[in-house]
Amino acid sequence: MTTAKVSAPARATARRRTFTWRRGGAWLLVALAVAVSVLPFYWILRTALSTNGALAGNATNLLPADFNLGAFQRVFGLQSPEEAVAQGGSGAQIDFWIYLRNSVLFASITTTGAVFFSAMAAYAFARLRWRGRNLVFSLFLATMMVPPIFTALPNFLLIKNLGLLNTMVGLVLPYIFMTPFAIFFLRQFFLNMSREVEEAAMLDGAKHLRIFFQIILPNAAAPIATLALLTFIGQWNEYFWPLLVGQDESVRVLTVGLGVFKSQSPQGAPDWSGLMAATLVSALPVLILFAIFGKKIVNSIGFSGIK
Amino acid sequence: MNKKALGSLAAAAAAVLALSACGSGGSSEAGKGEINYWLWDANQLPAYKQCADDFHKANPDITVKVTQRGWDDYWGTLTNGFVAGTAPDVFTDHLGKYPEFIKNKQLLALDDAVKKDNIDTSVYNSGLADLWVGQDGKRYGLPKDWDTIALFYNTKLAADAGVTPEQMASLTWNPQDGGTYEKTIAHLTVDKNGKRGDEPGFDKNNVAVYGLGLNGSGSGQGQTEWSYLTGTTDWTHTDKNPWGKHFNYDDPKFQQSIDWFAGLVEKGYMPKLETTVGASMADTFAAGKSVINANGSWMIGQYTGYKDIKVGIAPTPVGVNGKRASMYNGLADSVYAGTKKPEAAIKWVEYLGSAACQDVVASKAVVFPAIKTSADKAVEAFKAKGVDVTPFSEQVKDGTTFLYPIADNAAKVDGIMKPAMDSVVSGKAPASSLTQANDQVNALFK
Repeated sequence: MTTAKVSAPARATARRRTFTWRRGGAWLLVALAVAVSVLPFYWILRTALSTNGALAGNATNLLPADFNLGAFQRVFGLQSPEEAVAQGGSGAQIDFWIYLRNSVLFASITTTGAVFFSAMAAYAFARLRWRGRNLVFSLFLATMMVPPIFTALPNFLLIKNLGLLNTMVGLVLPYIFMTPFAIFFLRQFFLNMSREVEEAAMLDGAKHLRIFFQIILPNAAAPIATLALLTFIGQWNEYFWPLLVGQDESVRVLTVGLGVFKSQSPQGAPDWSGLMAATLVSALPVLILFAIFGKKIVNSIGFSGIK
Repeated sequence: MNKKALGSLAAAAAAVLALSACGSGGSSEAGKGEINYWLWDANQLPAYKQCADDFHKANPDITVKVTQRGWDDYWGTLTNGFVAGTAPDVFTDHLGKYPEFIKNKQLLALDDAVKKDNIDTSVYNSGLADLWVGQDGKRYGLPKDWDTIALFYNTKLAADAGVTPEQMASLTWNPQDGGTYEKTIAHLTVDKNGKRGDEPGFDKNNVAVYGLGLNGSGSGQGQTEWSYLTGTTDWTHTDKNPWGKHFNYDDPKFQQSIDWFAGLVEKGYMPKLETTVGASMADTFAAGKSVINANGSWMIGQYTGYKDIKVGIAPTPVGVNGKRASMYNGLADSVYAGTKKPEAAIKWVEYLGSAACQDVVASKAVVFPAIKTSADKAVEAFKAKGVDVTPFSEQVKDGTTFLYPIADNAAKVDGIMKPAMDSVVSGKAPASSLTQANDQVNALFK
């Protein structure tokens, strides 16, 4: 990009753009898209600041129904069960900070492991020549077709027999080595990298390990960051496996902890405001991550190197 | 693994061995320490936490950890725990679930304990203790509370329609024309133009307020949906209860009642079945979209907790046999067969089934305890809160209840009956189609 020097009067006219229907329509569309994506968040907030008993009667009111902070107090465990029940909430306690710690641990360990090992595997598939490589790779891809629910039970029994139920190790084990998607994603990227740099390094006597760590990884920082972010968000929201394996308070993650606010008795209504408050609080870390790295995701598609 | 790690591992193993060797007598180990207790109703959590504290004061060497899990997760987590060996020592049990637990040998029989500690099962409301005796004649639970069905109604909307509490308390029903029950439901229904369900020009496709709320099709039990009606026709779910071997969904009396029930949707007096999926009938009621909700006594707290809605409670209608009817369901506390501390667990179950704990539960006014004297206290506690719960308790006093149907293969029966009932209540099939479902159900017992 070169910036052309623009003379002052020309800049002024550029700013005084005339209104056209096309432009107005575009802005309207953008406004609509923003509303559609932001309104649900507002509704979560509005429900979290309401009292359960008043919610159903004020379904059409945009403002919180019977405003109070009780739901957030329930989330952070600052409310006695009696008070909670009186507010139509869940009398069950959640240990928010412990669950948060577990969620952070679970998501970051699995993300680090999966991204690192997948990058190694992707390098092997992209750059090393070995017999049966393509067969192994297609087998890998085939595992993407297997719904996770099929492997849940065998995995559960394996973890049980290893005696790792209700441990962090048991929680992260199925995810930590690799995910087929990650390998596929990074392999595609490595294939498009120019070989000249690597060949030059080889002539200088670098071995594969060194090439991988000093050339491939730094050059692939953007897609790896993208992958890490996507993996982290996926892991953060993971529910079924932690529900099976991490029932114990000490390893329970946030998603499973949210279950406390669900239906408390047959036919009973969930503790809506508590559920929404907890959802909001547990979504915050991911939102913050997105705010920081969101640009990276968009930019990672572009790539600079020697063509 | 290096030598150092091996050494510490060996030390740890030795420590574990030493610990487990302490209790070689068995009794000392099995009778103290921490035991886990699970329940699903958060409204009862404060009461049982207090029971646990009182119990710990009386038995300082036993601590009870009370854990609550919502109904949706409770059973999955529990059965998962049976497999993983992480199930709680003692848990709240349900009549619909416990036959399968017995089959899988997951429950501890309590007979010896009951005999040894002279537990008098006559203190419980009649019939409740017998529900928890399996086909093998062994006892698998001590009664904790019971529930019946009544009609919650929106007093303001009823008054607007000119329906008095006296009229609500003296409704009659029959499967041919629905009696005054259907007349009242029709009159309480209002369409978008303000026309009532019994007025000419009523638009059944654009209803604003339904006379009767719908929770679901009721599957094979219809506990809160239709059993209070079918129960007045002298129809029973099974040939005998508990442990029936033959279901009666092919009975014309039953099918006629269900046709009437499904007809309410057709007439526009009750919401369509598909609108109830994922929604809460009680919340819909609180939004002023339905006037009468037939529901269980465990929902009293939920219905009376809504702001801006005044709730009345009326008994279920007098039916074909000239009496009211309500399903009568009882919960109990059971002990997990794999518990490491059977003695402590049994002690806790006995305490849960005693007046000491059930009076505490009664004082919180959330449910009706199983012990007669405690149940009376609960009625008083509700009254002190300004809620008259006699419509629930009078059916037990008058003997118009019938017990929740207990049979084997509950999950499989549900798997057949739920879709079958769904298609009838959604108007896709007539109730006569249930005959075929009934044959499938009965084939399970051949």
